[in-house]
Amino acid sequence: MARITAGVATSHVPALGATIDHGKTHEPYWEKIFSGYEWTREWEKGEKPDVVVLVYNDHASAFDMNIIPTFAIGCAERYKSADEGWGPRPVPDVIGHADLAWHIAQSCILDEFDMTIINQMDVDHGLTVPLSMMFGQPEAWPVKVVPLAVNVVTYPPPTGNRCYALGEAIARAVASYPEDLNVQIWGTGGMSHQLQGPRAGLINKAWDTRFLDDLTADPQRLRHIPHIEYLRETGSEGIEMVMWLIMRGALGANVKELHRHYHVPASNTAIGHIVLEPTA
Amino acid sequence: MTAENPKQDIHEYLAELEDIPGTRVFTAQRARKGYHMNQFCQSLMKEENRQEFRKDERAYMDKWDMTEAQKQALLDRDYNRAIDEGGNVYFLSKLFFTDGKSFLQAVGTMTGMSPEDYQAMMVGGGRSPDGVRSIREGK
Repeated sequence: MARITAGVATSHVPALGATIDHGKTHEPYWEKIFSGYEWTREWEKGEKPDVVVLVYNDHASAFDMNIIPTFAIGCAERYKSADEGWGPRPVPDVIGHADLAWHIAQSCILDEFDMTIINQMDVDHGLTVPLSMMFGQPEAWPVKVVPLAVNVVTYPPPTGNRCYALGEAIARAVASYPEDLNVQIWGTGGMSHQLQGPRAGLINKAWDTRFLDDLTADPQRLRHIPHIEYLRETGSEGIEMVMWLIMRGALGANVKELHRHYHVPASNTAIGHIVLEPTA
Repeated sequence: MTAENPKQDIHEYLAELEDIPGTRVFTAQRARKGYHMNQFCQSLMKEENRQEFRKDERAYMDKWDMTEAQKQALLDRDYNRAIDEGGNVYFLSKLFFTDGKSFLQAVGTMTGMSPEDYQAMMVGGGRSPDGVRSIREGK
């Protein structure tokens, strides 16, 4: 049977992708960020996951204002890197796992999560930057990916509680997939940042740190944080952290923290990265 | 399996979103107002459209059903005004990138700070939430 063996969370700032693509990760400003991912890169070489369920948000790339799905699952065979205005990132195509994706979609719908099924889309920095952070610049990505796009752009996004519960449903779906697969779930975006208005540049290290702590210590608190708290405390784009709760919900009641990295800033954003392993 | 979560009143929810200093949350009201402007921005994901836009910004924008105020905000690259007109930063980012600007450069213009001061604030740990959490409560 397929099983979820680990959860990984990371910010997905577009400048990180540009830094990798332009070979600048060793510049002092960026090195402070990338050094915190070296542990995970080594760890992933040993873990060799078959598939990553990659929770991210589309940034007005695949979905414009005509279609705004709350939870969209990619069921395609492959995905191309989106042109976000400066040409597509020079990264390999993302290879899907259509069979597992359809299985998760069907299972979640029967489990009363009304997923939107996507058979064709390009993927933007929200999905490709996390892959680059964990795997660098390979000829081909070493994992298949099930993209799970969450609306955190047009209000209201899903509640943290709903995200957490979707994670639980994804775990049930994966556990009922007959093939023996090592599956990881990644939650991306965050941490504190605000990309608009006179309040842009907001960072809240204390809040972010407590959030990271409670992924292990008190995830039940996290699922009930209201949207307004994310907005007030972590900036308007800090709302992306609800996506980390899908990852956390999929890992079961208890987890062990294997690795953590936190740094301010990358561009306008607080970088957060954590690796969690489910425990009995 | 789903833990209980009390349903929020939509009117209270929306009212709270307007209580954050210097912040315009992308609500339905703004999404409706900015629909054509945001769709215009998204069109800049195609290289041929970027080229056409660069050749004559006004002529390219005139193909879109935007208000004059929206067009002028974009021509001026006044992103606070564009957001007041219903723009969303992720749509506007297609214009940032068309201009060869990063998020850091473009977002900084909305703060009233010089690029150097904004970058220095970020390197110094960012803007504190103290004093900018709530208009009503002034904290």
